[in-house]
Amino acid sequence: MKLDRRCFLALSIGGAAGTALTPLPWKLTDDLSIWSQNWPWTPVPDKGAITYTHSVCDLCPGGCGITVKKAGDRVIRVEGIEDYPVNQGGVCILGIAGPQLLYSPTRVQKPLKRIGNRGEGRWEPISWQDALAMVIDKLKTLRAADKSHSVAGVFGRDRGTVAQLFQRLLTVYGSPNFFSTPSYLDNYEMTLYLMHGMRASVGVDAKNADFILSFGSGMIQGWGSSVYMFKANSLLKSTGRVVQVEPRLSVSAAKADEWVAVKPGTEGALALGLAHVIINENLHNSDFVVNYSTGFETFKQLVLGKYAPETVAGITDVPAEKIVALARAFARARKPLAICGRGQGLTPGHLSDYIAVHALNALVGNINRQGGVIAIPEADDIDWPEATMDAIAVAGMQKGRIDGAGSSRYPHSRSLLNQLPEVLNTGKGDSIETLFVADVNPLYTMPDAEATRAALAQIPFIVSFASFMDETAQMADLILPNHMYLERLEDVPSPAAYPANIIGLSRPAIGPLFDTRHTGDVIIALAHALGGNIAAAFPWQDYPTCLRETLGDKWNELNRKGYWQGPEVAAPLGFGTFDTASSKFEFSNPDLNAALESQPALPQGDATTYPHLLLPYDTMRIASGPIGSPPFLVKSVDETVLQGNDVLVEVNPKTAAALQLADGKPAKLKTPKGEAKVRVHITEGVAPDVVALPRGLGHTAYDDFLAGKGVNYNALVGMTEDPVSGLDATWGIRAKLSKA
Amino acid sequence: MKQAQNHTKNYLYAMAIDLDKCTGCGACMVACMSENNVPFRRDETDQLLSMKWLRVYKLTNGKAYPDHDVCYLPRPCMQCAGQHEGHSPCVSVCPATATDYDQNTGIVSQIYTRCFGCRYCMAACPYHVRLFNWWDPVWPEGMEKMLNPKVSVRMRGVVEKCSFCFHRFQQAKDRAYAKGKRDIDEQDYQTSCTQACPAGAITFGDLNNPSHAVTQLVKPDHKHHGRPQAPHAFRLLERLGTNAKVYYLSSREWVRKMGDNYLKNEKQAGSH
Amino acid sequence: MDTALIPDGVKRCPLPKFAIGLTLVGLVLAWGVYAMLLCWIKGLNQTNMNNAYGFALWIWADLAVIALGGGAFFTGFLKYIVGKDELKNIINYAVLIGFICYSSALLILAIDIGQPLRGWFIFWHANVHSMLTEVAFCLSCYFGVLTIEYIPLILENKQIDKVPFFHNLSHNMHEIMAIFAATGAFLSFFHQGSLGGVAGVLFGRPFGYREHILIWPYTFFLFTWSAAACGPCFTICITKLTEKISGKKLVRDNVIELLAKISGWMLLTYIIAKSVDTWYWATHTAPEMGLHVSHFYSNNALYGYWILFTELVVCGFVPAIILVTNGGRKNKFTLISAVILAAVGVCLNRWVMVLQVLAVPVLPFESWELYMPSWQEVATTILPVAYGIILIMISYRYLPIFPQEKELNPVE
Repeated sequence: MKLDRRCFLALSIGGAAGTALTPLPWKLTDDLSIWSQNWPWTPVPDKGAITYTHSVCDLCPGGCGITVKKAGDRVIRVEGIEDYPVNQGGVCILGIAGPQLLYSPTRVQKPLKRIGNRGEGRWEPISWQDALAMVIDKLKTLRAADKSHSVAGVFGRDRGTVAQLFQRLLTVYGSPNFFSTPSYLDNYEMTLYLMHGMRASVGVDAKNADFILSFGSGMIQGWGSSVYMFKANSLLKSTGRVVQVEPRLSVSAAKADEWVAVKPGTEGALALGLAHVIINENLHNSDFVVNYSTGFETFKQLVLGKYAPETVAGITDVPAEKIVALARAFARARKPLAICGRGQGLTPGHLSDYIAVHALNALVGNINRQGGVIAIPEADDIDWPEATMDAIAVAGMQKGRIDGAGSSRYPHSRSLLNQLPEVLNTGKGDSIETLFVADVNPLYTMPDAEATRAALAQIPFIVSFASFMDETAQMADLILPNHMYLERLEDVPSPAAYPANIIGLSRPAIGPLFDTRHTGDVIIALAHALGGNIAAAFPWQDYPTCLRETLGDKWNELNRKGYWQGPEVAAPLGFGTFDTASSKFEFSNPDLNAALESQPALPQGDATTYPHLLLPYDTMRIASGPIGSPPFLVKSVDETVLQGNDVLVEVNPKTAAALQLADGKPAKLKTPKGEAKVRVHITEGVAPDVVALPRGLGHTAYDDFLAGKGVNYNALVGMTEDPVSGLDATWGIRAKLSKA
Repeated sequence: MKQAQNHTKNYLYAMAIDLDKCTGCGACMVACMSENNVPFRRDETDQLLSMKWLRVYKLTNGKAYPDHDVCYLPRPCMQCAGQHEGHSPCVSVCPATATDYDQNTGIVSQIYTRCFGCRYCMAACPYHVRLFNWWDPVWPEGMEKMLNPKVSVRMRGVVEKCSFCFHRFQQAKDRAYAKGKRDIDEQDYQTSCTQACPAGAITFGDLNNPSHAVTQLVKPDHKHHGRPQAPHAFRLLERLGTNAKVYYLSSREWVRKMGDNYLKNEKQAGSH
Repeated sequence: MDTALIPDGVKRCPLPKFAIGLTLVGLVLAWGVYAMLLCWIKGLNQTNMNNAYGFALWIWADLAVIALGGGAFFTGFLKYIVGKDELKNIINYAVLIGFICYSSALLILAIDIGQPLRGWFIFWHANVHSMLTEVAFCLSCYFGVLTIEYIPLILENKQIDKVPFFHNLSHNMHEIMAIFAATGAFLSFFHQGSLGGVAGVLFGRPFGYREHILIWPYTFFLFTWSAAACGPCFTICITKLTEKISGKKLVRDNVIELLAKISGWMLLTYIIAKSVDTWYWATHTAPEMGLHVSHFYSNNALYGYWILFTELVVCGFVPAIILVTNGGRKNKFTLISAVILAAVGVCLNRWVMVLQVLAVPVLPFESWELYMPSWQEVATTILPVAYGIILIMISYRYLPIFPQEKELNPVE
């Protein structure tokens, strides 16, 4: 058959027409659409029985009760426990994003040994056995060389069994150098020590107060136990009043019933100005002042002499009438409560501010009672027998702390991590030969990141217990990864500023995903391997045994309910006990007076070179602590805070106009400590010449969802010590913003 | 369509958000993402491309420092009823019936496998609650383990939006049925954001049930498409006749005024 | 070389010249096809659309080409239904332009939807209340009609016509063309209207929303009207352009002027109706939603009153008045200016009814959103233009599109 063009055409057309009449094209069309509904690259979550595990969140000092929802063996959700006293069903943004941390690609999956230069990111997997042997070898060598005190540990907290186990290890090993992360709680602790005469942590009964006067504390930005404070804030919408004293219109200020815009750094003066009005107008609680306090006259003379409303108005930029009105409103409230610690309280701040603010609570007699500030005596939950110390241990312990805490310079301080970089960098004190790091990321969270980096470089051997490859872990020589909180059993000490002593139990919702080990177990194993007195001080086979035995009769309740709550501390007008020499609350004593008269820390830098003032701010949507924000949090950040990889700094329209900067445009931010590229967000929420920067951005570690976005405030700010406490009193730094 | 089981009672699910209590913390957003398998990308800072079923807006009063004020406004899907129950702006325009107004619950649904991505519904919605999957959803390796099995993952090229966690309604219905109950308890069906809000700012429930907290908070006028009668309650764009089922409460007048458009010399409607 | 295919009695440029032209346009087409494939394979993230701009350049292009393609149905309506027989001299070209416009619209829609493989759901799971469903059905049906109207033209090719079957088919199809033209006109009135309804029913979008007559918003009628008015203007534009490029007169002036006159009156009445509609919307519809008309034309970099003025006066009243006056039609310059302005006017109208509708903030705490298309969007929008040029080139070369060409350009 001859196939000519015409025939070919006819065949083709006929064939096409014929095919169209068969079901084939219809079937294909249908199949294609079904395929598009089931694209193999679009994941289909595995089904599985839904189960819940009750636990306690350990991502921040909030200590919320959580229930972890699983589908089969997958953790899919974190929810709050309805009847958990701290959070009553609520859970914060970071807590909800917990599963993203569990499954994060930045998890350290097995013990790692550094092979490249520090920070280069080259690691070699190492077995647990070899890793522990390396540490033990190091510890034995140092101890043999009488350098036991050169071993130090930095932990997220000083309470709880794991931190206490490590502190115990250091003690019997022969080193006093245990550090915890400093915060506003340290200042509160010292304030209570100076005014109540006892080592106690602060409890704020915000839910039962009817007037909260907050000196910059981010009640709804993560100060205290965030969910507890959120609930209290909501309650106060119907039962009371919140006044926020703060230079910037934070969320807490915006949601407060009143925002008192104060000149940055003068909050303490305002508190004393209020005290002046209260005393001057005889509005104070005379029962408390007369029967339960001493030193009132001295205090009275101080505030009446130096803090008249007009004077304070000049210092703080708050009009005198407003000061008088605020003082009256505060004093006349039924349960007035004053709190301080800026933002989330990540920088401790000036001790005198705390004393001044706490004096306000004392003036209105709202101490150790419902709706007031409660001093919760240091818990005696951990009651291990005194360890037998050998000669090396005793000698090491007598050397004194490297940071000077407890020395005659800072007699009341217990840990001054912020002093460490300077001590190491100047070589004035002892050196640190081996550093253990757990639940902290000092390279990111400490002020003056450069100094911290230099200090870490001085330390020959750094062991990290990090669960995530954070900035500090990247600088380590050895990483002994801990289980992350959803995988581990651990006690969670009383939440920050919570008005009762409550221990929570963090329980594994899922078995460890990777080859990680509980830090508690690692500490016990290290102790056992070191032998002698050290091993003897750790009579537990493993961490769970230790935890059970330590908690003793509380264990059953903890295991059943998930928490154990101590007896109510706030007795009605019993005012608890004051352990001062006078057995009374002290408005004045030599230490207090020295603190009150100490000059507030001034921001670093001179005003001519640096005409602006850089202030940090905290937001719930960005995790600013050791844990980096998981992707969901970064996703939740407003377009007025982050654009692309650039952070936006808040600038007043007047400042922006003077600098000819338009909204969203790039700018250069320079401080005495560093320089950064930013963009500007023009807002009336900050005063002219103030530049506000969120904390928690500018990570170099973590995943692509976080790393490289924005600027780390801590890289731009230095440390200015409080003359009395030695803690970091910095609240901002002078800066120069200019057109990029 | 006639309901097969016409003995079942009709629900009218609605939400009230107390803007005085809302702290703008964003927990609702993340609770929503976590519950509904919302994907995330490396750069989510362009809000017009960011997939957020619930977005928290920041409102300002425009005044100078220190009289400035801001307020956060979480915006889920409004589940509009329209001028007659079911004539939602989006439902009425979808050419493929991929979105529907459920007469039994008052919830606007979205069938992802039917949607072919014409985006007409997005053009119709004045609240921008409807979002398009511009990209294939991708999870970092291992993180797909956290996906909720009760909610399907959406493919590229379709529109999605807040569903008032409709899967939770279905689960609650199953639970009620298993217990032999006809009605769903108030606490048994709560959206993920409501449950998560640490400030307790969100209240969710059935407007047809006078005992539900949401009904008591907003006091809906059923004769006028559920218009709120509570003094501080308002709905967004009330005047467009969308008849939203998300109500807002604020004691601040400037915030309430931000809920709708008003001519210059006009008195704010609905202020009692 | 290809003389066997070229109609008798007309002169065409040499094949190499034609091939070069074809190649140049073909390159543009290839660029468009590349962009189209990118959109299909990588998805719509290739565009600059976003969640505020779900509808953008493509939907505008769709609406615009359908309005411009309106010359086909309205000329057909005038010829076959009204009985303006002179228009047979331009109807072929009107049909061809219509065919190009409608096939382009369908192609753009196929690129525009997120799930092209499921595009047929619009028919299968149709929601009869949706304007888009109405559009889809009428559009597809009318495209079928246009194809049927175009086929006899193809069959008139010298070689194809030699086949008796095709010859007879062509003849018979011509016989019944009036029925198709009537069907087409009917379908067109609806889908042009439905396209107007697309924005008009959006009661959540105060800029687009209009009051209704029965189930149809005013924009329904305005769109049909404007397509009927401006579509033929576009046909005239393209005819004049073809004449310019080919260097030949292809259609007699009386035909053009007749079409122009009818368009002129359509345009004048349309623009009056549009002005009344705008006035009513500005003084009643928008204020009832709490919005002053200035809200829609201020506080942004692009959309000002100028756009309204341009649409109503410069591209509305001005061309309408030119076209209804005898002198205006006779003068070549004013005639060409008027038809161009009218075509631009209808495109501008479609632009504001798509893009400005979405740009205007509705929530008081939102602001204007402006949009700039990505190159992929631009390329895929130019793609149909290149395709149209190629189709016109081939059709003109090988098909007897213009019945008057032979007598107007006798070959020596």
